[in-house]
Amino acid sequence: MRAIATLRSPSRAKHVDKFMRGVLWVIALGFILVLAVFVGAILHQGWPILRLDFLTRMPETLEAGGGIKPQIFNSIYLVLLSLGLSLPIGLGAGVYMAEYAGKGRTLNFFRLCIETLAATPSIVLALFGMIVFVQTLGWSFSIRSGALTLALLNIPVITRVTEVSLMSVPRELKEASYGLGATKLQTILKVALPYAATGILTGLVLTAGRAFGESAILVFTAGTNTSAIFPDFRLTVPGETLSVHLWYVTSDGTLPDAREIAAGTAAVMILVLLILNLSVRFLDRAIRRRTR
Amino acid sequence: MNDSPESSLVAPALLLELPAADRLAPAPPEFRQSRLHRLADRWSHLVFLACSLLVVALIGGILFFLAARGLAAFLPLTGNTGRTLSFAEVFLSTDWAPSSDHFGILPFLGGSLAVTGLALLLAAPTGILTGVFIAKLAPSWMRSLMRQVMDLLVGIPSVVYGIFGLTIILPLVSHSFLKDAPASGFAISAMILSVMIVPTIVSLATDAFEGLPLSLDEGSQALGSSRWQAIWHVLIPAARPRLLTACVLGLGRAIGEAMAVQMVIGNNPQWIALMREFTDRAPFLRALFTPAATLTTELVQELPNTPTGSPWNNVLFAMGLLLYLLTMVLILATRRFGRNEVA
Amino acid sequence: MLSPKTPETKPVKLSVKDVAFSYGEKKILDALTLDIHAERVTAIIGPSGCGKSTFLKCFNRIHEVTTAVKVSGDMLIDGVDIYKGGIDEIDLRRRVGMVFQKPNPFPKSIYENVAFGPRLFGVNDKVTLDVLVEDALRKAALWDEVKDRLKESASGMSGGQQQRLCIARALAVGPEVLLMDEPCSALDPIATSKIEELIMELKESLTIVIVTHNMQQAARVSDYTAFFWLGRLVEMDLTERIFTTPRERMTEDYITGRFG
Repeated sequence: MRAIATLRSPSRAKHVDKFMRGVLWVIALGFILVLAVFVGAILHQGWPILRLDFLTRMPETLEAGGGIKPQIFNSIYLVLLSLGLSLPIGLGAGVYMAEYAGKGRTLNFFRLCIETLAATPSIVLALFGMIVFVQTLGWSFSIRSGALTLALLNIPVITRVTEVSLMSVPRELKEASYGLGATKLQTILKVALPYAATGILTGLVLTAGRAFGESAILVFTAGTNTSAIFPDFRLTVPGETLSVHLWYVTSDGTLPDAREIAAGTAAVMILVLLILNLSVRFLDRAIRRRTR
Repeated sequence: MNDSPESSLVAPALLLELPAADRLAPAPPEFRQSRLHRLADRWSHLVFLACSLLVVALIGGILFFLAARGLAAFLPLTGNTGRTLSFAEVFLSTDWAPSSDHFGILPFLGGSLAVTGLALLLAAPTGILTGVFIAKLAPSWMRSLMRQVMDLLVGIPSVVYGIFGLTIILPLVSHSFLKDAPASGFAISAMILSVMIVPTIVSLATDAFEGLPLSLDEGSQALGSSRWQAIWHVLIPAARPRLLTACVLGLGRAIGEAMAVQMVIGNNPQWIALMREFTDRAPFLRALFTPAATLTTELVQELPNTPTGSPWNNVLFAMGLLLYLLTMVLILATRRFGRNEVA
Repeated sequence: MLSPKTPETKPVKLSVKDVAFSYGEKKILDALTLDIHAERVTAIIGPSGCGKSTFLKCFNRIHEVTTAVKVSGDMLIDGVDIYKGGIDEIDLRRRVGMVFQKPNPFPKSIYENVAFGPRLFGVNDKVTLDVLVEDALRKAALWDEVKDRLKESASGMSGGQQQRLCIARALAVGPEVLLMDEPCSALDPIATSKIEELIMELKESLTIVIVTHNMQQAARVSDYTAFFWLGRLVEMDLTERIFTTPRERMTEDYITGRFG
């Protein structure tokens, strides 16, 4: 039926084709525009506040002029802690799925679980962390509650990227290793993982970016306060991060300069994100150069 | 783990019995795998298995703890310090007034569905078309540019989306469409959400189109159809199962998003009444800009303010449980569409 | 055990008795019986898909890594069955080295490629490793070409050099048998002749089994030749005899190119 219709009016089909190609270009360019406006607006709003003393001063609770020094520290500290917790588990699970689980039902089941965990809303993970770490274990709002719950967010991503990177290791290299009398573990540790390392690292940087921007989890586990000491490495104190700070000052509304602080914090976060994305690009290029 | 005292002690018994041993240079005795290496190889998979099982345990653990708290609203469990509610008065009621003992969560469920549906309405067509564009039409520079754009969009933290909506979109909408009346609500939330979920849909849709056999495309063009006809009549139908998966995963992301929506939606559990009022005396679309609430926004808004164990608190956890079960249903649904990948 | 019609016979290194391989329900090789002699080069020829690569891989059980090939019958190395518990696959693969169709150096330095094997067995001492690496590279006739750039990446070498590096890598763990799976199929004629020279030198101290598509190569380098067809061993004899007076009509047809 459709073929007949097009036979009848080839010129109309040509016009439609041209028009729809135009529409696709417009949609794609539209997304580029959205991103440009977005990043531009956030940076533009934040620019006047982005001075060195904004980054290096302690925050105020009631007056204007506070900085975000401890929040920067807490963000980095929590991201590193959560990565440290989730990396071994994610790597282990990824290795298992790529190298040991075979192709049958076991693999399918593990994949289903990883996908479910990956798709679980962070607010649900937040509730879990709040029940288990904050309340049941009595750790209250603290760095350790936050880091452990944040790790739940990272694990599926790291697992997946490890599995995918290991799958891309050429069979010939593994065979070469086995052919020399290597055990399976040696082949994984000395050949497969080093080969997959750049891919895993890329995923790790992206995971770090995601953890850095996460807020829902941390509002309910690491809290909206920060230690008065700087730097405070204790795991038992609350640790408000940049993203939580951004949310809290806007929703709380006690600070006279909440708008400015939020704008400055958002700009800092966008800058960090841009830097992380650039480094991923860099890593990607390194991978491509090697596999060429 | 590379050095082991045993390695040099193990006599290469097999090597010494070789008929040709005198002619062949015998391997140095250390060229045998040490007992440590063998033991490590034999047992290490248990470590890897344990990591995988931990993920399984987490899935179960989350379910268990959320259910323990969420179901306490309906059952006389230890977590329940107040009245035991019935399922009907929670899941089938639109009356949410915790201070006067009414706990109908339909407004939040409805709000979640409304905002997610609207977001998907915006994101699904544009996302799928962008996927086609990247996979089949765009020149290579545009392709890599679009990939980078999507990478950035997915990486932007939800609170930054929220602050953008709060400080730029809300005033803009209020000023230009609402005669300076404050703006919030479903329409703006859905707009922001659609930008947040579009990268997921684009990336999965691109994969779906790139995964199609080239012959489909060529075959249809060989019959004289235009590029667009090939896309519309052949490629999109052929990719349908995976496009559906893309949309469902986008939906999952949208329904679970909390912070960005919470910052712009206005957080009004009584939105149904308010909206009815508005639709009576203003065009229907105006109602989409009135303050509303969803499951996630209500959790963010109220969880810190409710005493542990109270029916109010328990119902909030039940809402969390509902979100989690929804996620599971969505993931299982993607399985039914056939081959399935998560970005 | 010794074959009566070969005058200067070396001891039997590998022995195959009534072996069948199957992949799932499909039989790849059937009713296979042959002996492979130490310090000799045995070539396996036959049309593609006749199972000769699989056969080769069964000698060090490397196929177990990727495919589920089932082996029945006896496969012996020095009289010890390699499938029925006499030796495990880790020890076996150390003793039975393998060179693959495509050069597959690790993405590491030349030095690290050769040192990889010894390191597996706990050799970490720098001096010992240096000696082992130099020795292996000399045996593979590569030392003079690379001694000044041992730290450079192996991926910068030519294809022929890479393949000789893979041979050196295999030699570094002191194998008794070297399996070569069409080692020259990805190489140009000059690199091929270098590898062939190398094979002639290596057989002084090693048992070599080589699978090849190239009949001239089989004639040049091997002492024995086995002709496989459709999963069966048609004929095995001294290479000279196979190429001049084969007993089977089919062998003659294949060698003279009147085949398929």
